[in-house]
Amino acid sequence: MIGRALAFGFAGLLAGCAPADDRPEIVVQRFFGECGAAYGESTDVAAADTECGILTTLINRFEAENPDIRVKVNVVAWPGYPQLAAQIAAGDPPDLVTMHQSVISDYAGAGLIEPVEPLLAAARIDPAAFTPAARAGVEKEGRLYAMPWDTIGRLWHINTALMAEAGLMRGGKPVLPNSPEELLAHARQFRERTSKPYLIQAQVSAPDFHVALLYTYLLAQDAVIFPDARHIRLDTPQARAIVTVLRQLNAEGLTTLNQDFPAATAAFIQGEGGIFPVGTWMLGPYDAEAARSNSPLHGNYAVAPFPRLWGEEASFVDGHAWIVPAARRSPAERAAMARFLGFLAKYNYDWSRTGQLPAFAQVVESPAFRALPHRADIAALARTGKQLPGYVERQSAVQGLIGEELEAAITGAKPVDTALKDAERRVNRLYAQMM
Amino acid sequence: MTAALRDRLAGYAFVGPFLLVYAAVLIVPLVMGIVISLHRADLFGRREWIGLDNYAQALGDPVLHQAFGNTVLLAVLIVPPLTVIALLLALALNRPGKFAAVLRGVFFSSLVLSVTIVTLIWRFILTPDAGLIAEGLEAAGRAPIPFLSDPDLVIPAIAVTTLWWSLGFPVMLILAGLQQVPGDIYEAAALDGAGRWTVLRRITLPAIRRTLLLVVMLQTAAQLQLFGQAQLLTGGGPGGASRTIVLYIFEVSFGRWELGYATAIAELLFGMIIALTLLQYWLVTRHEEPRA
Amino acid sequence: MKGARLHPLVVMALLLGAGVMLAPMVWTLLLSFKSNAALMADSGAAFSGPYTLENYAAILKGSLTLQWLANSLIVATGATVGVLVLSSLAGYGFARLEFPFRRTLFVIVLLGLAVPEQAVILPRHQLFAMLGLHNSYPGLILPSLTGSFGVFFMTQYFRAIPKELDEAALLDGASRFTLFWKVLLPLTFPAQATLGVFTFLAAWNDYWWPLISATTSDRFTLTVGLASAQMNYAQTSGLGFLMAQAVFASIPILVVYIAFQKQIVRAMAGTAVR
Repeated sequence: MIGRALAFGFAGLLAGCAPADDRPEIVVQRFFGECGAAYGESTDVAAADTECGILTTLINRFEAENPDIRVKVNVVAWPGYPQLAAQIAAGDPPDLVTMHQSVISDYAGAGLIEPVEPLLAAARIDPAAFTPAARAGVEKEGRLYAMPWDTIGRLWHINTALMAEAGLMRGGKPVLPNSPEELLAHARQFRERTSKPYLIQAQVSAPDFHVALLYTYLLAQDAVIFPDARHIRLDTPQARAIVTVLRQLNAEGLTTLNQDFPAATAAFIQGEGGIFPVGTWMLGPYDAEAARSNSPLHGNYAVAPFPRLWGEEASFVDGHAWIVPAARRSPAERAAMARFLGFLAKYNYDWSRTGQLPAFAQVVESPAFRALPHRADIAALARTGKQLPGYVERQSAVQGLIGEELEAAITGAKPVDTALKDAERRVNRLYAQMM
Repeated sequence: MTAALRDRLAGYAFVGPFLLVYAAVLIVPLVMGIVISLHRADLFGRREWIGLDNYAQALGDPVLHQAFGNTVLLAVLIVPPLTVIALLLALALNRPGKFAAVLRGVFFSSLVLSVTIVTLIWRFILTPDAGLIAEGLEAAGRAPIPFLSDPDLVIPAIAVTTLWWSLGFPVMLILAGLQQVPGDIYEAAALDGAGRWTVLRRITLPAIRRTLLLVVMLQTAAQLQLFGQAQLLTGGGPGGASRTIVLYIFEVSFGRWELGYATAIAELLFGMIIALTLLQYWLVTRHEEPRA
Repeated sequence: MKGARLHPLVVMALLLGAGVMLAPMVWTLLLSFKSNAALMADSGAAFSGPYTLENYAAILKGSLTLQWLANSLIVATGATVGVLVLSSLAGYGFARLEFPFRRTLFVIVLLGLAVPEQAVILPRHQLFAMLGLHNSYPGLILPSLTGSFGVFFMTQYFRAIPKELDEAALLDGASRFTLFWKVLLPLTFPAQATLGVFTFLAAWNDYWWPLISATTSDRFTLTVGLASAQMNYAQTSGLGFLMAQAVFASIPILVVYIAFQKQIVRAMAGTAVR
């Protein structure tokens, strides 16, 4: 009886989902979150906000403008690389995938993704149009393995009202530290006067957060992090100094503790701390928040590249790109993919409204981009931004390992030098295991 | 065709379909796994024979040691309380009436939720920023507790989440066991004037001994394979403090692409689960005389 | 013992326990009826109005939740039907028929009880890639069909049925299959219900296999689909929407459970754990 009822329902369900469709199909896989509730049907790109909102709207619009192409969208949990690996191993990878530029060399080195020059040519995208940073991010061994989509860096997002209360504003601009000692001094002064933490930091389930800090200040000192493709160097005086300061901030309660990204993101809006060192991608949302009249952030938002603390001004930058997993595809599918890439390239300005720097030089120079708020303050990033050497692989796993050890060091679960030694050992062993 | 031959063929016809699937989807991968574990293999098909090197590496891998410790600790924090609570609940709810029926429904209910939903709910109970517990503590004027980011609290937090989620099945099993105990034994005991405690100790517990063993064995095997809760709630953090063996297998295979090494760890876990299951079985049954 | 009244302290403890079981669910329910904006500002807002249905409307309108729900139903139903069919056939075969290597084969099947999923999942992923089975319903269902427990359980059940029934039917000239189908199978209904419900639940809740086998989001099951939404929630539709998804996703399984609850307990009491 039940069996029959179930079988009946089963058959009904199967019958219900077998539409015949001979349009070419492209599978687009992305992270950036799921926001179907707010943007599920929107096609007005100019009206969309946030990475998720803009990209969802872009894809909706592409579908509307190209009814002859079937688009399937996979939204994967950030950063989605384990799932991509599983898909490639399953022999059924998607067609276009968002990937961090720092991760591309893994896949390119293993022959898992295709060079994209033919697709770019079909989409009439001239690689010479990429910014130098974007091009460096996608070029491996002389081949282009992706269409760059932006350059991302870390910024200090600053609550100027709290900074004023702490006596850390001069001439309408926040006073930022110029040395690690000054950083601690500012943080203590801030804590004393506002009784709030100076920094808001995502320290839970956010391994890349501290890694970006560490990389930035190591690169600022021209320290060699990766002497070659198979080794990392972290057990150094420079690294110890940086992590010790981070540990000190935690130990003295000069930063928020125990927050993950969502919590830290919200904490900044609610004015629970002075400075949130997070990526360019929050510039757009925070600026929108600062424009809302009943927001605690209203009129009190400023942004700056990471201050120089050690060495010279520098910032570890990365970027997003669209890669193509190696697979057999029909000419019709490839044409559809090229059309999709060309469409995305056309909207690079809209993407830069998120706060990321555009990947196309022409957009960076455009008056429209220049007119966006705060972009003058962060333009330096394009000049001072540094990427890791092109031969460095496994950044996703490596940053996971380093982040885990840093987390232990910064929360005090492990002494700083033990954590750095462990991180170095674990990363080197990962490299030794690589085939 | 003789009747005997026909019976034989019928036998294969009945067990054949299952055995076919069993061989193809379980035995073949099992053998493949043993072979892969002897290779330095990546996820995408590259293989290089290295004998037992992966196993040697596993035995000396501090991250695996930590994961092993976390996993055992989780099992210890989950299985005994789960069994005891389930037993008490089953004893209390093994009675007719609406009250017991409704409560049975309540205690079984979490069992049907999927791990994603359980962790989604518990994340927002445990999170120190806006979680249910934090709201309660704040209302009482106390500081919120960072359950998911304190290395000492994260394992207990996952254990409580798992207890909440897994309670229903053991209660169900034990209830079923209790209902098989013949009523006349109780009546006889009542005539002898035995107290509740004596009845429980002398009659009920021995009668459901096998059921309790089953509960412990199933739960031990299940908790040693804990994966979803750790992956979704904490990602194994902070600093690996909640990484379980299976989560590590997942990271090594799909994050680091080291299929051979991941498979070797999986084989070790397999051996450990079998050994533990047999040990539990032996411990419980060794005193049992063949009573019939 | 059975009829004895519960001590008031025991009743209090039970009610407290029930509260602990229910509080998370009530909290979830409340959150799902709040607007995301209100929750962004303060999640404590869940305890007071205004409540809204906007999150549920959003699910029906713009997301893949319905597709995931259908996938979960198909996979779990397929697994259940498959397990019931295979286990009943094999259980009858092992319990009633004599054929060479019967004992050996049965022991091999029993050994499967000790094999954890982790020991086979990685090579199985490779195997299914070779066979081109990934991202398909059969690929998602097949691993559920290898469970030895069902065969063991049904074998035990068939053994408990008196053999005289078979003999009488065979004397009447019934074939083996007719005997199985018409006479014995109907008697195993309670066992089928129990096995079916647990297979359904296990398949419904499976996480790792669909995570690595379903490669496009229109083949995700609910567990995987919700996980991808959940881990992205930083800049997404918001807490209220997520909780509404959770509630929405739990409704069908709760219905199944409530409908079968009596059945499950009664069937287990009659059949399980000898």
